[in-house]
Formats: sequence, structure tokens, C-alpha cells
Amino acid sequence: MAKRSILHMFDPMPNNSPFDINMALDAGFDVLMPYSNVKLETIHNLTQDAIFSRSPSASKKTAIFIGGRDMGMAIDMLQATKPAMVPPFEVSVFADPSGACTTAAALVACVEKALKQHHGKELKGSKAVVFGGTGPVGIATGVIASLQGAETILVDHLSIDSAKDAAKQYNRRFGATMSGGVARNDEEKAALIADADLVFCTAKAGIRVINAAVLAQAKQLKVAGDVNAVPPSGIEGIELNDLSAPLTLANQSTNAVGVGALAIGNVKYQLQHELLKMMLEAEKPVFLDFREAFTKARTLV
Amino acid sequence: MEKPFILHMLTTAKNLSPFDVNMAMDAGWISAIPYINVEPSEVRGLVQDAIFSRSPKGLLRTAIFIGGRETKQAMDMLKMAKNSMVPPFEVSVFADPSGAFTTAAGMVAAVEKELAEKFDTTLEGKNVIALGGTGPVGQAAAVIAAQAGAKVRIIGRQLDKAERTAELCSEEFGDGKITVLAGADADKTEYMKTADVVFATGAAGIELLSTELISQAAQLKVAADVNAVPPAGIAGVDAFDNGKPLAGSTSGAVGIGALAIGNIKYQAQSRLLKRMLESDQPLFLHFEHAFEVAREFIKSSK
Repeated sequence: MAKRSILHMFDPMPNNSPFDINMALDAGFDVLMPYSNVKLETIHNLTQDAIFSRSPSASKKTAIFIGGRDMGMAIDMLQATKPAMVPPFEVSVFADPSGACTTAAALVACVEKALKQHHGKELKGSKAVVFGGTGPVGIATGVIASLQGAETILVDHLSIDSAKDAAKQYNRRFGATMSGGVARNDEEKAALIADADLVFCTAKAGIRVINAAVLAQAKQLKVAGDVNAVPPSGIEGIELNDLSAPLTLANQSTNAVGVGALAIGNVKYQLQHELLKMMLEAEKPVFLDFREAFTKARTLV
Repeated sequence: MEKPFILHMLTTAKNLSPFDVNMAMDAGWISAIPYINVEPSEVRGLVQDAIFSRSPKGLLRTAIFIGGRETKQAMDMLKMAKNSMVPPFEVSVFADPSGAFTTAAGMVAAVEKELAEKFDTTLEGKNVIALGGTGPVGQAAAVIAAQAGAKVRIIGRQLDKAERTAELCSEEFGDGKITVLAGADADKTEYMKTADVVFATGAAGIELLSTELISQAAQLKVAADVNAVPPAGIAGVDAFDNGKPLAGSTSGAVGIGALAIGNIKYQAQSRLLKRMLESDQPLFLHFEHAFEVAREFIKSSK
């Protein structure tokens, strides 16, 4: 009998996300095994138990998924699986806590495409502001944009210290060059977006972060992307299905366009599906986080 | 390739019941995924993660099962799950905490069958005494019987607890359309004199009804006992009994034991799990639907 494919799903939270479960089964994994309340220190042993119980020829049939809610924890866990591998006993690993890696990769890829199409510009040299910048999607968005050469600010809605800490921590981890900012009110938001080329909105669902008055303060906005699918939208004037639709509320900026949550969500969905399938099909084990997710997302948009 | 059938199994307890897992797989679900220690407040997030990761077509092959130990909590979670759907993104949900809904449905359906076959009557207007009735099975059985027209009294060792349970059954589960009464265990001699039906749904291994009380029950027709662990909840009712004359009864009553009830329970749970697989629209299933399919099974096995 052919060996069935098994996805071991490590999660620091009490439960896995049903989203990831549906996605993994739809990508073709035969058996899913949830592991909840997983601690970083147990990753090494869990990984070795997974690799040593099957022959190397079955390595394509075994993979590890890392979920949870925290980007730092998930990346630490992904890193911890690498030294646990003993070639040729090794398997693929994919980290996507809260789906944040794939959401961020889809967001930046959609925005990058709009920037090229409508303004003939690259991420490199652009000025990007990430609202909700200290959450998992915001952090991944910021790192991806920064690694592509955008001058990136992670913005927290309460504390400049939280924003600076997050920027510093993830700069160190990934060699990015982000800075931190705070936007507690419309004045601070307006000041931040006044000279921004790109605005990413990755704040909590159902919260209007940027209203028309703030948007009107943007002098050179080119593309704004919003991942919030629950009304009201995070950025006023962006509709769910917008894919480079004119953002007329940014009336001081020329040809500004917006990308909405469902347009980004479609790419994210395909992306997560493709990355899960990649683990089943790759000849050599792959280690996937938001950087690989972004590379793949670019091919999808 | 058709998408695999996925059942997301939520429980507030620290483990799923292997009973429910076996039942789900045997009903045809390909993957049964456990979510343990679930807080009711987490239901919305879990449901929305489940519905937004498949197309509406794929969601016909996706469902949620709610286990746990508590009746009210499971019903609240079922309601919350229903309210979290975003049509056309929606899935079927089936609540059966501790298997209590399907067990209760199996018991009431078995009683109804004996009433029809041996006494040519129905539950309508009958006096039903639910001994040890404050637990999950007792609650669900009381509501199902009351909805079928019976006058149900839940008996507990503590009267105030029985009263609270009866009110929960009438108002919450019965939607204010039924009236379930309460009584203290100390007064059961009196209640037994006019009882037509007795449910024994107390803790395993405790005798709730003695031969002496049975002999004094002048109009007793059917006595059903869900307890499979000796001593029986009702004196003289063996786990295998299925309409056997009840020893000591002066009114010609018959007994139904745990295994006979268990058989119908099994069929009811299996049918509801299959209904979710086959339905082309989302279903929200609980004790009422369990009783519906239990009756269906009895009808089909005649």
C-alpha cells in the first residue's frame, strides 16, 4: 500500500485553526495530526519523532505546519526544526501563524503589481506605512516591503515603544530596516501618510483606521491595500473587490489606487494552497515562511 | 478531485469522546478534527475560520460537531455557531453533548413504541416521571416527551435543582411552549401512584425505583432505564430488556433497558451525521432532530 501523506500541525495555541485544516486537506494531505499547546523547546523532539519514523523515500509524504497567533514564536519554531533534521531524514516545514505570512505576502504582491501598472515604480525607494504594524500580518508585511527596499514604518495605534520594539526585533531577525511610528489620532495618521507612497492597512477587522479626511492629507499616495474584510473597511473608499480601483478620496495624490480585502484574499487563498502543495511535490524538503510566500505570490498576481 | 468530507469536532472538555469519533468516521466523514477545551466565546472565530476557507460548494462537505458535557452550553454554542455563518458561507452543525441528545431521543422513541404496541396509546397527556432527571439525558428526554404532549416531572434529590432544571427545559429548550414540572426524590412515592411512564436517567449504579414502588404504581405502562451498570436504575429492568413485562408491576408495565435504548441512540446519531453529509443546505441539529430520526428508525424497522 502506498504511504499516505501526513501533515503534523504544531500549534502553540490550545487548538489549530479550522481554516488551516480545511486548506491542508484540500491541498491533498491525507491525514492531519493536530498538536496543540506546543512549546518551542519541544519542537526539536517532535520534529525528530516525525522524521525518524519513516524512510527518507517517504519524506515527501510527511510535512510539518506551524500555526499559532504569534509571528515571532512561529518563526522561532520554524528555525528550531532545521537543526533537528538529520539528512536524508528531513521533511518540509511551513509556518503561517493566523495565515499572516500568506496574507501579508498576497497584500504586498497585489500592491507591488498596482504600483508597477499605475505608476511604473518599484517597492525599492518607495515610502511605505503599515497601520496595525505590530500585529502578525503587519509585521510580515513590513518585513517583506523592507526587504524589497521600501522605506517602511511599522505603526502601532497606542504606543511608539511597541512599534519601535517590533521594528528593532524583526530588523534583527530578518535583516530588515524598518522604523516605528505611532498613530493615536487623525493628526498623527495624517502626518504619517502625508509623504507616503504606499499605505498598508493590517489592523483589526471591522475598524476604520484611515478616513476620508486623513486620506485627503496624502500628497503622493500611489497605492493603498486593506486586508480588513469586515465592514467598515480599514481605509475609507476601498471596496472589498477593488483591484487597483481609483482611490478618489486621496484627492491631493495623483492616480492613487486601492486594493481591497477580497482581492487580496483570493491571492492569499491560492497562495496557501500552492505552498501546501509545494510540500507534497517538492523533490527536496522546503522551509516556507513569508519570504518564500512572497516569492510565490508574485508569480500568482 | 472531490474535496474530502471534514468534520470539525468542538468540545469544551479536555478530550473528544472516542464514541463520537468512531460514529463520525463510520458515517462517512473522511477527516474528524478535534478542537478541545473550547471556550464558548471561541466558537465564532472557529466557525468563521471553517467557513471562509472553502467555497460554498466545498462547505457542503464540511460540518461542525459540538460535544462537551453540558446541555445548555452545547445549545448556546449551536446558536452561536448558527449566528456566525455568513451566507452563502455556511456549514451544518450538530450538537450532541455527552451523546445525551441522541440517548434521550432513543429512550423516548423506544417508550413511544411500547406505548403504541402494548397499550395502543401515545405520549399525549401521559404522566412522565424523570427520575435522576437533572442531568443532560434527563433534561433532553423531558423536553422531547413534553414536546410530544406528555406531562413531565423532573425528580431530583434536591428540589431547588430540579426546579431550576425544569425551568431551563420549559423556557430555554422548549422555547416557553412546554411546561416541565419538578419534584423532590423524597416525594416520589406519591408521584409514582399516577405515573404512566418512568425514565431513569440518574448516575450509573444507583437504584432509583424499587420493586415496592413499582407494585404501587397503579397506571404504570413503560419504565425505561439508561443505566447499563448494575444495579439497574429501575429494579428488575435488565440492560437487554426491550418491552419485557416488568417484575412486580400490577398494571402490566413493560421495561426497556440500556442496550435497547443504546441501539436506537446509535441509529439516531449515525443518521444525523449522515444527514449533514448528504444535505444540500446547512442543517442545525439537536435533540428535536434526534427524536425525528429515532422515530424514523423505529418506523423503518417494523
